[in-house]
Amino acid sequence: MTQTEILAKMQTVFDDVFLDDVKVTPELSANDVEEWDSLLQISLVLGVEKAFNVRFRVGEVEATKNLGEFADLIQKRMSEGAKA
Amino acid sequence: MGSEAVMLPPKPTVGLDDVRALLAQRSEEIWPALRAATRSATDFSEVLALATQRKKAQRAGIPGGTDKKIRLAMVGGSSLYPLHELVQQMVGAQSQSGWWETELWKGDYDNYIAEILDPESELYAFKPDVIFLVPSSQRCAYHGAMTDAREQQQAEAAKAAEDLLALCRTAHDRSGAEVILANFMPAAEFDPGPFRVRTLGSNWNFRKLVNLELGLNAPSYVHLCDAEFLATRRGVANCYDARAWFETKQLYSSEFAVEIAREVAGIVASLHRSSKKVLALDLDNTLWGGVIGDDGMAGIEIGGTHPRGEAFRQFQLAIASLAKRGVVLAVCSKNDYKNAAEPFEKHPEMVLRLKDIASFQANWEPKSENLRRIAQDLNLGLDSIVFVDDNPAEIEIVNQFVPEVETIWLGPDPAEYAAQLLNCRLFEPRSITSDDLQRGEQYQQQAARVQAMNTGTDMDSYLDSLEMYSLISEFTPVDVPRISQLINKSNQFNVTTRRRSEAEVEALIGDPNFYGFSVRLADKFGDNGLISVVIVKVEGATAVVDTWLMSCRVLKRQMEDEVVNEMVRLARMRGCSTLIGHYLPTEKNGMVRDLFPRMGFELVEETPEQATYQLSTEEFVTKKTHIQIDRRAYDAN
Repeated sequence: MTQTEILAKMQTVFDDVFLDDVKVTPELSANDVEEWDSLLQISLVLGVEKAFNVRFRVGEVEATKNLGEFADLIQKRMSEGAKA
Repeated sequence: MGSEAVMLPPKPTVGLDDVRALLAQRSEEIWPALRAATRSATDFSEVLALATQRKKAQRAGIPGGTDKKIRLAMVGGSSLYPLHELVQQMVGAQSQSGWWETELWKGDYDNYIAEILDPESELYAFKPDVIFLVPSSQRCAYHGAMTDAREQQQAEAAKAAEDLLALCRTAHDRSGAEVILANFMPAAEFDPGPFRVRTLGSNWNFRKLVNLELGLNAPSYVHLCDAEFLATRRGVANCYDARAWFETKQLYSSEFAVEIAREVAGIVASLHRSSKKVLALDLDNTLWGGVIGDDGMAGIEIGGTHPRGEAFRQFQLAIASLAKRGVVLAVCSKNDYKNAAEPFEKHPEMVLRLKDIASFQANWEPKSENLRRIAQDLNLGLDSIVFVDDNPAEIEIVNQFVPEVETIWLGPDPAEYAAQLLNCRLFEPRSITSDDLQRGEQYQQQAARVQAMNTGTDMDSYLDSLEMYSLISEFTPVDVPRISQLINKSNQFNVTTRRRSEAEVEALIGDPNFYGFSVRLADKFGDNGLISVVIVKVEGATAVVDTWLMSCRVLKRQMEDEVVNEMVRLARMRGCSTLIGHYLPTEKNGMVRDLFPRMGFELVEETPEQATYQLSTEEFVTKKTHIQIDRRAYDAN
């Protein structure tokens, strides 16, 4: 999956979690969305794990700065899953 | 018959996509869809997505939502987010006609002891109806050595349970709220190996003992959310999530959190409505294999050494275990009565016998009609019945024509029948009182009384022949659970339908502004148990009936007259010259619309919301009945 494809799929997860419409872009981060707090982040990560069938390691999602980096992390974990 | 035809589950499953579509249409149908989808959801993300749809529906103001508000406080030793979202969503779906809205207050992470002990804390300012307490399992461990004396380990487990129950007591005493307490998940790690079972010092045994102490010693206002059982049933290793603990202090894995939330919602619902009372059974291919009308006594499969026969027998044993606990049994079958009754009378392998069945409907009328008849026979609402059938078409018809009746479709394999019934979760009592244990018998006695009435000559001699005697008592602490059970579930013979928790009933005992009494009635056929509850408020020279409810089993037995006699007697003792009664109509209490006038009260005022009646206690003449009163309320002896 390309970063663009991953971001498009992330949009469906965002639509299920946010009340307001949030447009997924590579530059977007939690600071840009009022509703997006540390608690909502939990739901978001679990939703992403479910949608992409991946499992992140402790602390690594927190280290991503924006959705572009998050998408790259998803891609990395997906390719590992494919090898295993 | 013909049940081999189509074996599709009769209830089509409603899911997230349906809910999304209904939201887009701004349709009121979104509420039933949300309820159904939430109840069947097991996936964390799905429940959260449903919660998001619900919030959008609420924000868009789609009508048909909130029909009850519940104030729920959550406190605990772990993060309560996003567990609270799940709980909120599951509680909402407990509504039968709209959505139960939860007003939520969440405590801080691992701050529950301070929140409960500080009388000025926000917890109490919030005034919760229900408090959900999730204690820290990380603290539930034995601190000494595994080789310490067993007594010492036992004492520490007992102390851990006592401390928690003491917190529950404080929380309950200060807020009046019911407390839902999560017990401890079992330990999932292998270490220290099989030695774990040889010492109470291992996490495995220590937590088991603490949970046991909690369960056996919990007072009635504490409702255990049995995380130990739920996790065991699911597989404990799947209930923890180490990363979620380190990152955000989640105690439960996300999928297990869904189960905990569902359980909490079930407990909240049980505070507001009672479990089902009647199990209505199909016969052919349900209680036995084959069709009695075609295969005859020798041809049906039940018991013996045949595997199918054994499965049907096991199902009957499961039914009998519910009956023993007070669930009333009925038969609802398309059959000739003679054929249908024969196995109950003569088949040596049958577990259930005719005497076990309180209402037996075997004929060729539609099952929906027969279910109505069963409700009439037993004097119970349709919504207290659960109907069981192997035939999806019959289930579908009942769902359509008597939607009040809950249904269980047994599916194609008799091996699963017993487990289906024992996992249906419809007959779980909040507490089991000794009255419950006798309930099945009481309904059979009721049937015998109806027969006596049919054969008796006139009403007076019938009532006389019953040899009724009654005990009337002021409220006592031991009766509080049963009194509050009746207050919260009686719908038909209930003039005001005011609900009260156990704590509220208990508070009435010492309150000088109220008098209250409960009535027991026995007769030659048996003890009916506690059958009526009355609460009267004293306002100077006027006594106002706040609550008057009665079990419908004892209708037309002159018990109403004796209740009025007692109300008046106590009103006079309190110096009240007038007794006021209100009738607040509901969908279900039409049977008491004219109760007060029948009892000699005069109409004062009538509006659509309420009718007011009064009676002069000075002019009242005590009513004569066929009931011998053995004791009256507030008697010195």
